[in-house]
Amino acid sequence: MRYDSRIRRITAVGLAGLAVACQLDKDREPDRPVVHYSLSDATRALDKDTGEALVPEDVQANVAGSLEMLFGSAEHPQYLLLDEWKEAGFDLNWPTYAKDDQGSGEFDETGMAELEKDNARYFRLNLALIDAGEYERVTVQSWSPDLQRTWTDLLASKAPPERDAAFAAEAKKAFESYYPSLAASAELYRQHCLHCHGPEGGGNGPTAPFLNPRPRDYRLGTFKFTAVGKGAPRREDLFRILDEGVTGTAMPSFRRFSKAQLHGLVDYVRLLSMRGMVERSLVATWTEEESLTSGDVIEAFKAVFDKWERAKEKALAFDGEVPHPTPESIARGKELFLDAKSGNCFSCHGPEGRGDGVSAFALDPTSGEIKPTYKDDWGFEITPRNLRYGVFHGGRRPIDLYRRIKNGIAGTPMPEAASALTNDDIWALVHYVGSISERPKHSNRPTPEHDASASHGEPAKH
Amino acid sequence: MFMRYLATLLFLLVPILGVWTFMKADDWHCWFPQNVSSFGAQIDGLFNLIMYMVAFTFIVTEVCLAWFVFKYSKARADKGEFTHGSHKLEMIWTAIPALALLFIAFTQMETWALVKFEKNFPKNGPYSIEKPIAEVWASQFDWRFRYPGEDGQFGTVDDLERSFEFVVPVNTDVVFRLRSRDVIHSFFVPEFRLKQDALPGHTIPVWFKAEKEGVYDLVCAELCGWGHYKMAGVVRVVSAAEYEKFQAELKAHWYSNGKEE
Repeated sequence: MRYDSRIRRITAVGLAGLAVACQLDKDREPDRPVVHYSLSDATRALDKDTGEALVPEDVQANVAGSLEMLFGSAEHPQYLLLDEWKEAGFDLNWPTYAKDDQGSGEFDETGMAELEKDNARYFRLNLALIDAGEYERVTVQSWSPDLQRTWTDLLASKAPPERDAAFAAEAKKAFESYYPSLAASAELYRQHCLHCHGPEGGGNGPTAPFLNPRPRDYRLGTFKFTAVGKGAPRREDLFRILDEGVTGTAMPSFRRFSKAQLHGLVDYVRLLSMRGMVERSLVATWTEEESLTSGDVIEAFKAVFDKWERAKEKALAFDGEVPHPTPESIARGKELFLDAKSGNCFSCHGPEGRGDGVSAFALDPTSGEIKPTYKDDWGFEITPRNLRYGVFHGGRRPIDLYRRIKNGIAGTPMPEAASALTNDDIWALVHYVGSISERPKHSNRPTPEHDASASHGEPAKH
Repeated sequence: MFMRYLATLLFLLVPILGVWTFMKADDWHCWFPQNVSSFGAQIDGLFNLIMYMVAFTFIVTEVCLAWFVFKYSKARADKGEFTHGSHKLEMIWTAIPALALLFIAFTQMETWALVKFEKNFPKNGPYSIEKPIAEVWASQFDWRFRYPGEDGQFGTVDDLERSFEFVVPVNTDVVFRLRSRDVIHSFFVPEFRLKQDALPGHTIPVWFKAEKEGVYDLVCAELCGWGHYKMAGVVRVVSAAEYEKFQAELKAHWYSNGKEE
């Protein structure tokens, strides 16, 4: 009996405690750490001997302040409106609006229609729920905070019995015409990109050290797989990477998001990249002139913005139809590949294209190991691609290989094609590289020919 | 006295709530997604068979438990009796589950063979083990789909590649090769009732026949690393005409001269 009453007492106290705890906890907001931008490691570097900051701390604060003025904070990213932009009605913060209508006019009519069509795909479940009148079951993901607000406001504007066809049309429109603001894209970035690319796009997120190749550091403004060669990329180049992913790396395709969301991410990556470029430029100005004025800041921003604007006209394309490989073009490609005076590909990629060329590796006298000779612009060791794998980070399409060979790869030792090479020569190289990347020879489901060659392929007896 | 009723009631609530949740699951949209594949009904049939067997056992056990709680919860002065087990009882409770397992093993064989055995793979349609529609490549952490192009061979330069989205024709026996670039992944489309591991170094033939057009989620069902949760894709089932159109578009994209992008 005594036990019974004690158990009852303990249970009662426990339950009461639990109830009180639940009551106290019910208003707590879920923790969401506030993200801040910080300056790059290079800017904050210390002198090796004295241990003092190379860039004095007040200058660092000045740079950080200037960057916040130009690009906003991590929570509220926003471009500064230059005076001349204001006059022209131009605003880089709103890419879907026309150039003279408080926007930057980056989409024409077909582009906008495409965005809407893809929104209809992405939000198909919600649109079906709206059609069925089940407004309460519509969900908006936390990575679209602006859409969440729009949706809550819309629901609050009309009580359920008054929701008519016009309301349904308005509700569907909210989803179909969605284009994320910079702040919303920053939230999407934080949820899906930050863990590799870092809060400032420095390629230094928590997962980055585990990855090879490393995630891209945007802050140099250099992107490898573009159509523009060296220099800032175009919107289409960045979009393609998000849309297709990068084969053979940890960068997946993000097509599960809508095109509008991906373009929003491109906007945000551009902001981070410009921010990094301006930071470097400001530090360089200070190092040269020992002073930093607000005029310098605006000039640096304008110069960086110009680089991105100019990229729009630089895309490398080919006139006419892409030529298909022929035995002659492949043979010609091989010749160029192995010719030290024209193609000179073999010096890095090796005579068989296995990425083992002599100039890409050297003996390290201290450790006695063979190490890569080259480093990329980000300071990481880099080895030439093994062309026989059939995995090409920048894409396997003929035009992708053409662009890689003709333009070179920005940020890496892969140079532009020698000017002596004609377009036909470059296509020949594309065809040769394609031919050595073919796989059937070592497919693990043997074809009849493969079997035959295996049984006859015994080592010859001497 | 009160505690005794309360305890019995609590134990009885388990089977009652369990059965009730099961009956309401469909209304709460937390039951199976729709089935669109030709063998899906058979898989669901097996699932239901096993579930009803388990449900029967569950209810009987839980009711017995509640009954014992009620019957023996009285404070009793006498000591418990020691027994050394019963050979007969043990035989019964070993034999019945063994028979049940054997029954399940034999009943599912036909379905398993239909879905997984290479000799039962579709032969007469446009796609077969020798001539698959595509190679599906799993890698950390995305899906890529490689169509063979004009020469019908995989691994050649004219292969057309698409990331994220696997486009297949409706009402057609589709055979594809499943491969992995790095670690073990698993190709899982809940609407097709189809799950197959992708093993590095193996080329595994898989088939299905989707009977309804639509976009279905494809997920990785084998923990494959830190990005496993985001290793998603879709299977888009389209009409034959639209499939032709998709192939033409993919080809145009593949041989683009770069002007349009």
